[in-house]
Amino acid sequence: MTYQSNIKRFFDGFNIVIFTLILLFLYIPILILIIYSFNDSKIISGWSGFTFKYYKILWENENLKNAFLNSLLVASISTIISTTIGLITALGLENRYFKAKKFIQGIIFLPLVMPDILMGISIAMLFSFLRFPMGRMTVIIAHITFCVSYTIIVIQSRLKGFDHTLQEAAMDLGANKTKFFWKVKFPIILPGILAAALLAFTLSLDDFIITFFSTGRGFNTLPIYVESAIRRGSVTTINALSTIMILLTLFITIISKPIRKMII
Amino acid sequence: MEDLRLVNVTKKFDNFIAVDSIDLEIKQGEFFSFLGPSGCGKTTLLRMIAGFEIPTEGNIFIGDTDISKLPPYKRPVNTIFQNYSLFPHISIYDNIAFGLKVKKVHKSEIKDRVQQMLKLVKMEAHKSKFPNQLSGGQKQRIAIARALINEPKVLLLDEPLAALDLKLRQHMLIELMNIHDAVGITFLYVTHDQSEALNIADRLAIMNKGSFAQVGMPDDVYERPETIFAAYFIGDTNLIEGRVVEIHDEFATVVCHTDSEHEIEIDTTYHRQPVLDEVITLSLRPEKIAISRRPPKRKDDFNILQGVIEDILYGGTHTQYIVKVGAHFLRVFQQHKKVYIDELSLDWEEHVYLYWHDTDTHIIFETDKNKVNSENIMKTIRRK
Amino acid sequence: MERYTNNEITKIEKDNKSSLILTTPFLIWITFFFLIPYLIVIFYSVLTPGVYDIKFIFSLESWKAAFSSSYLDSITHSLVMSLLTTIITILIGFPVAYVIANSSKRKQNLFIVLIIIPFWTNFIIRIFSWKIFLSAQGLLNNALIYFGLIDEPLMLLRTNGAVLLVMVYVYLPYMILPIYSVLEKFNYSLLEASMDLGANEIRSFFKITLPLSMEGIFAGSILVFIPALGTYIIPQLVGHQSSAFIGQLITFKVKSIPRNWPLASALSFILLLLVAVILFTGYNYYKQGLRRK
Repeated sequence: MTYQSNIKRFFDGFNIVIFTLILLFLYIPILILIIYSFNDSKIISGWSGFTFKYYKILWENENLKNAFLNSLLVASISTIISTTIGLITALGLENRYFKAKKFIQGIIFLPLVMPDILMGISIAMLFSFLRFPMGRMTVIIAHITFCVSYTIIVIQSRLKGFDHTLQEAAMDLGANKTKFFWKVKFPIILPGILAAALLAFTLSLDDFIITFFSTGRGFNTLPIYVESAIRRGSVTTINALSTIMILLTLFITIISKPIRKMII
Repeated sequence: MEDLRLVNVTKKFDNFIAVDSIDLEIKQGEFFSFLGPSGCGKTTLLRMIAGFEIPTEGNIFIGDTDISKLPPYKRPVNTIFQNYSLFPHISIYDNIAFGLKVKKVHKSEIKDRVQQMLKLVKMEAHKSKFPNQLSGGQKQRIAIARALINEPKVLLLDEPLAALDLKLRQHMLIELMNIHDAVGITFLYVTHDQSEALNIADRLAIMNKGSFAQVGMPDDVYERPETIFAAYFIGDTNLIEGRVVEIHDEFATVVCHTDSEHEIEIDTTYHRQPVLDEVITLSLRPEKIAISRRPPKRKDDFNILQGVIEDILYGGTHTQYIVKVGAHFLRVFQQHKKVYIDELSLDWEEHVYLYWHDTDTHIIFETDKNKVNSENIMKTIRRK
Repeated sequence: MERYTNNEITKIEKDNKSSLILTTPFLIWITFFFLIPYLIVIFYSVLTPGVYDIKFIFSLESWKAAFSSSYLDSITHSLVMSLLTTIITILIGFPVAYVIANSSKRKQNLFIVLIIIPFWTNFIIRIFSWKIFLSAQGLLNNALIYFGLIDEPLMLLRTNGAVLLVMVYVYLPYMILPIYSVLEKFNYSLLEASMDLGANEIRSFFKITLPLSMEGIFAGSILVFIPALGTYIIPQLVGHQSSAFIGQLITFKVKSIPRNWPLASALSFILLLLVAVILFTGYNYYKQGLRRK
């Protein structure tokens, strides 16, 4: 037995307490949301019976479906573009003799620490200045802008662990640089690329404020639709919608691991 | 013939000369070893042969082909890397097949040859595993198979056993020799471990600061070191500086002294005749010296010195005595054998006789400018 | 092994030119859609507002307005609330991270996943769920009435307390994760050494554990404080109108008619400066920390 400090034992004792409290704090609001989505009552108080009607209302709501499809479209396009830019940028920054490396690394850092609202405002003003009509295009551009730093950093962290002697091994065995990249390097860093893509996709789906500033009339993503529904007060359908979204994300997270394993 | 020839090979990094105009010929099928401390340039030399570095000057030939400017993927050599560098994302089978696949060899042929290689390294059972499922020794075998399947003219091994533990290392060493015998390819083996090199190589080169200190067969290099560095790097030795005072047909007499009070005379055989009054260094391996309370019965051809035991270090296979002879300290290794029963438990400060045969003394035509020997001995003596 | 392993083959490939070519798309993109927009923000701040748009007439009115007391109050309010959020997330996040880092490897992964899962649900929905929970007819009030603790529903929503609660809820993982990642690598033999040298446990904790986890606390604070400073949607959904965050004011100036883009720009620029000052001070502090190591 190793000596256990009292502090450690103190924390160990509170282990379960701390965890129960923190998990309650994290999960209760969400659980309530899910339960209330089946509540057959106009207002959000007492329980008046089980119902699926809000789900039906949702299903028949064309605006909502549009917003959902818009979100998927924006997320897909911005994921593909930001991951591609992220990959080539990360590859370019692998060279530690690259003179501009430190500078570029600093620039990558900036969007990460910038409050969303400033990114939203500034990009809105750019499009206003250029007299560029705001809509789907501008939302996609904005999303790529805030995703690209994340994809670079995720892919860089995968490249960091890349064993560069593998390049010598591949060349020693007769592979030139192109063959080395596609047969060895790319498959090895693929998990990092996929992780970057998944992160970009999630960030894009989740974003409200930057979309709020960069979209024009008529182009809604799901978070924009949700926010306006909350403002309008159609709360109960939002419960149902939230439940679907929570289950959807849960589903994606659960299947993403086996899928990633399958691809690799 | 497909001999490997290095002609005036030099490699400079900025102002640092890593490899300094090396000339060397290695016969086809030879097992050759580069031995030297870290930073001596042996790995750089190997990497130039592999093609990962381009020589600043000089040329590398295999047979009559100059390969010194070819990229690694066009050279008929393959490397076993220190950390094996197996591709983690593909199976053992695909790792071994890699070289043939990039050369677009026909599938059925690849299959046969991989099978053959797996058999050679005794890894048939593991072909569908992935590298991280293998132990260090197994990875090593796969690395060997992956290189040999390409039928290189020369196989380069860069400290291949450094990551293995002692027992496995000894085992793999034998395995490597067997594989070498089976394939008949030139093996070029880089190591800093002298016993590995002595065991395994047909010939070896001791490297120091980018140059060869000596090239020769293992026993040659050990018994007849040509430079102080070579004598000191392999095994342990006593280095004694002295002046040649007499030259006979068979042997020479050397007078060694550190100050005017102490003077010892040592007879030595020679391979190259020294010049009278020449200052040379004698190399005397500690295990060649006998230590005893009594003088030996036989006296002819023996050097006999008297001294006092300064320190005793128990070392398992032998005990090391440090004996003060005049102003010199000599190291003596004594094995523990019951037949030396009367010599057991020699004690500190005891007066002893040291004696050895003339032929066990060896002349090095160099002086120990850096005093590596005396300083090293002083470090091994405990302060009282 | 060798001191000089710079590899000529890879060096040829890794010259400045190819690195520059590979990073150019990113640089162009970020210059055009990230850096230039901030120049436009500065430019807009010295123009004259129009009802729907902007008039290209020079004016310093918006800067004068930005430094009026109502906007300064809002900035102070944002700063105070963000600071409180940071402090509370440290106080909750540190013990949680400590407990996680001290559990077995399997439990660690489970706990981390359990903490992250809620944050895969949409940001707005997470805030909305609190709105439901805290509302006058919401579960919390009903429960309190049911147990006889209160007679009338409490005004929980639309208070600064609600804003603080939700901010802590939203930003807590950003504090837990960096602290955890530092504590996870923490070398416990240091504690043993400290106790061996005669420091008691509490002293060891404050002298060794805490200083060494400062890096995580610091990273977490940056990750919490800066987004909290710029938050719009949290106070918008659960806060009270009388105490608006700077982010809300900026948004109103852009989104509601009549628009006042120059004022929004001036306020944004002030917020940007605040962020820059915080990051710069933080960076210097961090560099000093590195030097001490």
